[in-house]
Amino acid sequence: MNLRSRARRLAFAALTVVLAAGVAACAHDPNTIFGAHSDLGHATDALTMRLVYFAIGVFIVVEGLLVYAIVRFRRRPNSPVPKQIHGNTAIEITWTLVPAIILALIAVPTIKTIFRTQAPAPAGSLQVEVIGHQWWWEFRYPQYGVVTANELYLPVGRTVSFTLKSNDVIHSFWIPSLAGAKRDVVPNQTNYIWFTPDSVAAWDGFCAEYCGDSHANMHFRVFTEPAPQFAAWIAHQKTGPAFPDTTAAPTKSAATQTSAGTVMLASQVTMAPAADSAAPGNGIFDRDKIPQYEIPNTPTPAGLTFSNVTGDAARGAKLFKVSLCIGCHTIQGVSPGITGPNLTHVGSRYTIAGAMYPNDTKHLELWIKDAHLMKPGTIMPVFGKGLPGAAGGFTDQQIADIAAYLSSLK
Amino acid sequence: MATTAATLTRAGAPAGYEGGVWSWLTTVDHKRIGQLYLYTALTFFMIGGFEAELIRTQLYGPNGTFVSATTYNELFTMHGLTMIFLAIMPLSAALWNFLVPLQIGARDVAFPRLNAFSYWLFLLGGIFLNFGWLMHAAPNGGWFGYAPLSTSQFSPGLHMDFYVLGLQILGLSTLAASFNFITTIINMRAPGMHMMRMPVFTWSTFVTQFLIALSFPIITVALTFLMLDRFFGTNFYKDSAGADPLLWQHLFWLFGHPEVYILILPAFGLVSEVIPTFSRKPLFGYPVMVYSLILIATLGFGVWAHHMFAVGMGPIADSVFGITTMLIAIPTGVKIFNWLGTLWGGQLRFTTAMLFALGLVGLFTIGGISGVMHSSPPSDLAQTDSYFVVAHFHYVLFGGSMMGLFAGIYYYYPKITGRLMSEALGKVHFWGTFIGMNLTFFPMHFSGLAGMPRRIYRYEALQGWTLTNHLSTIGAYILGLATLVFIYNLIRARSAGVVAGNDPWGAPTLEWSMPSPPPAYNFAKIPVVTSRYPLWDTKSAEQIADEPLVKRWERSALVESKGNAAADTQQPPPSAEQLGIPMPTSTIKPLVAAVGLVIGFVGLLHNKSLPIMLLGGAIFVITFYSWVLTPLEPEHESEVASQ
Repeated sequence: MNLRSRARRLAFAALTVVLAAGVAACAHDPNTIFGAHSDLGHATDALTMRLVYFAIGVFIVVEGLLVYAIVRFRRRPNSPVPKQIHGNTAIEITWTLVPAIILALIAVPTIKTIFRTQAPAPAGSLQVEVIGHQWWWEFRYPQYGVVTANELYLPVGRTVSFTLKSNDVIHSFWIPSLAGAKRDVVPNQTNYIWFTPDSVAAWDGFCAEYCGDSHANMHFRVFTEPAPQFAAWIAHQKTGPAFPDTTAAPTKSAATQTSAGTVMLASQVTMAPAADSAAPGNGIFDRDKIPQYEIPNTPTPAGLTFSNVTGDAARGAKLFKVSLCIGCHTIQGVSPGITGPNLTHVGSRYTIAGAMYPNDTKHLELWIKDAHLMKPGTIMPVFGKGLPGAAGGFTDQQIADIAAYLSSLK
Repeated sequence: MATTAATLTRAGAPAGYEGGVWSWLTTVDHKRIGQLYLYTALTFFMIGGFEAELIRTQLYGPNGTFVSATTYNELFTMHGLTMIFLAIMPLSAALWNFLVPLQIGARDVAFPRLNAFSYWLFLLGGIFLNFGWLMHAAPNGGWFGYAPLSTSQFSPGLHMDFYVLGLQILGLSTLAASFNFITTIINMRAPGMHMMRMPVFTWSTFVTQFLIALSFPIITVALTFLMLDRFFGTNFYKDSAGADPLLWQHLFWLFGHPEVYILILPAFGLVSEVIPTFSRKPLFGYPVMVYSLILIATLGFGVWAHHMFAVGMGPIADSVFGITTMLIAIPTGVKIFNWLGTLWGGQLRFTTAMLFALGLVGLFTIGGISGVMHSSPPSDLAQTDSYFVVAHFHYVLFGGSMMGLFAGIYYYYPKITGRLMSEALGKVHFWGTFIGMNLTFFPMHFSGLAGMPRRIYRYEALQGWTLTNHLSTIGAYILGLATLVFIYNLIRARSAGVVAGNDPWGAPTLEWSMPSPPPAYNFAKIPVVTSRYPLWDTKSAEQIADEPLVKRWERSALVESKGNAAADTQQPPPSAEQLGIPMPTSTIKPLVAAVGLVIGFVGLLHNKSLPIMLLGGAIFVITFYSWVLTPLEPEHESEVASQ
């Protein structure tokens, strides 16, 4: 008996230590919900911490009583039959009221927080429309006419009001360490969430509602920037795609462009394709500031190989315009497709395929060659010539050309 | 000591059940149907556990490639469905089948043939649901089957067809059982067995049956809509046709939350039997325990939308459902405190059953505390759909339901089979389960707080999730090994277990007054009940006080030698004929009717094949009519009524 109760006591002590250590350790995890960096995050945090303290208190009291009873009241030889107690009204009323009081102490701040965080967003907020797709994210900035995918840029210190919509099934929009809270993205319904980011960094975003085969691969990135840099990013996004080939370059009249960024356009036109780092002044988040854990490390599928060829962006541009690609993807002034992510500035993104792979030549090429192997369930067709299920089919050289073209779209 | 045990073992095997496969296929005896439920549910429990081990293997480290994304999604869906509908619910059904008539002093349930029908439908439904594996099309939309993901537009193929039809079959089985037990408990109690004298396990069964009767029709409606959508092209859940995508969620959780209490209340009932026996004290605050069961069940219908705080219901709905959810914590907390009150001042004996019961009190508390954390909507928005929730409900369903059911199995196994399970192996099982379970599920709290979403088949490295997932997987393996010890113990004890006698534990309730296993007719003479703890009343306090600290089986021998036993286990009890007790006739009809019904569903699945559906329907209708038109006991039709 002694051994058992000692084991229980030890287990109990260990649990408490683990709990405390765990909460402390959690605070340093990249995607911890503790101390999320926005007003919404702080509001959530205040409630959660209150709950954690009560939880630890109740845990210690109840488990303490249990362990004490186990140690103290174990059967001993020749002990008389215990007193047959059937209940005690005073005690029972007490242990009904005490939890009720604790719950009231939780309920009041809960209701206050609900009404504060679900109030309409303050006037003058930055509007962002989030559209969930199986399995990627579309972000629209209706105030600026900007559309992008899987990488969300937000200014620090300005409230962002998100309207959430789904193109297919139910998803959930979650940036754990920035917003703390999440909100479902529901078809036929518009949901809202708003918060004000308070620090400059790169953040992980996730889909938190099971949405089919590649639910696990439906990530996104959030970059919070100082207001001027964000303004530069917006200005850059409003321009057409950067490309030296004038035949492929956008005309001002094309598509839905509401561009006022002609100055930026001029500077981009002279930019060399496939340049490694974003040019200064375009507002792109600094690559050096992206932490290691935000560089995707998904292994590429075994058996999917690519020849050692070098792509030519100009050839790729021509090929793109006559390929199936244009049916699904928009590149301003080039193609109008809306099924897949907008690629106007795809070269300036750090990740592809729902933040599943880093955006480099190798991964782009493999992605175009056999997206089905790269991402389970995706509707992006297989383009590698001769591969099972290939739509039409490109040689590795052709794919490399298209990849080079896309990489050049900074 | 060893001599005593050996003597007892040799003293003659307990009276068994009539052998032969046919006798099991045609049985209408609640005790045998209870055993069929028990062994079938344990088999599904092993399958569901195996699925869990595959899931944990996949998630051991980042970027797992043990199974594919599609297989993983099937695994977590089937793990949930199996554990909820094919393991925990039927394990409860096994015990309420076996025990309720014994606890209330009845000869059988009200509708013995309907009882057999429930079991066969459950077995066939379980096989149907799992048949998807063989067709490479197991359900893959989560046990919650959210529309529109579960509609044919987003989930083509047979996957979710198995889900829709399988759950319909299991729902019919469960509903039939609930009507049966409500009728039994209301009508068939022995003289003097007032409602407020009923054992708490029977009370928990009673309350659970009302939860089933009120909540399963809701999922039936939800599933019927989905079935019509998938098979006949209606638009109940088709968002492109303007459907409200939250319709399914509201219907599902209006069923789904009461379902949580359907899973946990029977375990609460079992623990309320085990703790008093091994504390040698009556249950503290019996009336409050009963009222809290009823209160939990009632409030359980008013909290469903706390599963939906993230869907955007608006601040008023969020507040209301937050408050009702907090309220439900009060009666639940009262139960925990009353168990502690029962322990307080008792003489605790740490049998395996008692260890598992204490395990429930300790571990369910953790699940309850994290449940209160979810009740605050703004905080829940950070926790929901993360691994924190996975930790929470496994503390409720494993730390609560399964711990309680294990306690019940160890406690009642001697009554069911006449033999005791090994206490030594039982303790290995308990400690393996206790350590394994905490190692698996406690770190999941931290995975969730570190931002790990649920239902993902892979995760990236460097997210701070790797260590906690390592621990969870190691814990799951320990849990798996402990479960194998349990299964071995259970099988071994059937032939090698120590003979139990009527009352191996010194327990207070009616079922311990009869031989183990009980004769087919249960009570030779229907008892007259005068208190909540009839056996403790007849067994004087002095008798118990005389006893030294002895092993249970020795103690049971002492009790028997003092002449407390109603019948001598060394001689088979007299047969029903000798006593002139009318017994229901065995019949194959419930099985045939269940097969007919399932054939109808198979026809629907098989390209809506009209001939197959008509064949199944004809078999069902003809058998059902023939069953209804045949009296239960040909010679003594009025016996039940006259009781």
